[in-house]
Amino acid sequence: MTLFVESKKLKRTGFIAAFLGGGILASLIPILNMAVRSENFIGLSERPLKILLDANWQMMAMLNVLLVVIGACIMYHTEYADNAMQKMRTLSMKESTMFFGKFILLVGMSSIVIALEAAAILFCTVHWFSADTDFFIELLKNYGYMLLLIIPSAAFSLVIASACKNMWVSLGVGVVCIFIATMIPNKNFILSLFPFAMPFQILSESAVKYCIAACIEIITAGAAELVYLKGRRAFE
Amino acid sequence: MSFSSLLSVEFKKIKRSKILLILLAAAVFLWLPSILNADINFTETVGGISPENNFFIQGFLGMACFMFPASMVVGTVLINQTERSNKGILKMLSLPVSTVKLCLAKYVVLLSLAAVEVIMSTVMYFISSAIVSGMQSYNMMLSPLYVFKEAGLVYLAAIPMIAFFWALSILIQTPIFSIGTGLASIVPSLLIMNTKIWYVYPMCYPFYIITSEYGRLAEDMSTWNVDLFPLLPIAVIFTLLCLTVSCAAFGRAERK
Repeated sequence: MTLFVESKKLKRTGFIAAFLGGGILASLIPILNMAVRSENFIGLSERPLKILLDANWQMMAMLNVLLVVIGACIMYHTEYADNAMQKMRTLSMKESTMFFGKFILLVGMSSIVIALEAAAILFCTVHWFSADTDFFIELLKNYGYMLLLIIPSAAFSLVIASACKNMWVSLGVGVVCIFIATMIPNKNFILSLFPFAMPFQILSESAVKYCIAACIEIITAGAAELVYLKGRRAFE
Repeated sequence: MSFSSLLSVEFKKIKRSKILLILLAAAVFLWLPSILNADINFTETVGGISPENNFFIQGFLGMACFMFPASMVVGTVLINQTERSNKGILKMLSLPVSTVKLCLAKYVVLLSLAAVEVIMSTVMYFISSAIVSGMQSYNMMLSPLYVFKEAGLVYLAAIPMIAFFWALSILIQTPIFSIGTGLASIVPSLLIMNTKIWYVYPMCYPFYIITSEYGRLAEDMSTWNVDLFPLLPIAVIFTLLCLTVSCAAFGRAERK
């Protein structure tokens, strides 16, 4: 029910079109990169998936995080723009239900975006390299990993968006967070656990640690939102 | 209504917007990693660039590649949403004020936000270089004149880009698309800078200016030349085109 209502609200915001467009744009990056300068990549000795991700993932991840932040801003902007939020608060439902409904929708759309990108990677591999069964398993693993790591940033950007009445504040905070993520050096493990820096990771040996961290961050974001909603009622 | 009084009205509108706090946060986080990792200026530099130059250039690269353009997109959202949220734009359009003037006044507000952003980053540079000079007992501070010159160039280079973002926010009424297009247009800057025709893409100008300065300071990467000839006419035409389109389209959706 909640999901249905939440998706209806997004109908005329261009949310789905923006995510699909962003996904297609991000998928074009590896394809164009291979089409224009394939000679730089084909001779390399590493596995095709690693070559493609090393060359393109930073930029694709950047688009993904931007999409997630904008998506979260729009989701709450529709509530705050014409005081729809006040009506929602008078209904016989918990405000947190709305948050989790939006959260599931945002993660669902991100999964589609990342699936589009995985399809682009698959296309590049089949076209310029060769794909064996190992490759498909590896690709699926990477898909799951990337999806899991983008969830913390989705959760935190929704928390920010729900706390800020004005869209430019939530967008501004989101943009500053992405900016911090781009400044974080890759080698530093603790700093790279910053939720907005997680989506830039590529599957590596320390993947398990990142997965655990992502789960903890998702739970933290959920708890933060619940605490915030309780706290807000106490002050308003 | 004269342009200057319109301008002061526009500044009043964004008075309580907390945008300055966001810009300040961005400027602080820009230099914080540079302060914490100050020692890499002595060890991990390329092309024989001196530590003080490296410190300055790395910080400004960080600003020009993402933060500065992205915060300008946030600025367009701010200016548009303050008007649209309570239909303030309808009141403005019903006044005997030329919409062209109104549109340009808002653009000037956006340019001022950009100036504030650059000034904040520059001030933070002086503060952080003073801190690092104390920490490393090495003079990190460059001559203020040189720093002001570079900051001014970045600002000038950003004017066409800001005009583009402004046109986007007026032409595309759905916020998710105008923000999305704006932010997404920043991402491929690095790719386009590597081509010969970088000057056709105004979103990479600020980044290009700083990168070319980097190339000048470090010896072995000197392929980044800024030739004024194709750049300047294209930049001017692009800016004028964006402004004309945005002035023509301003308020059109509301008047329907």
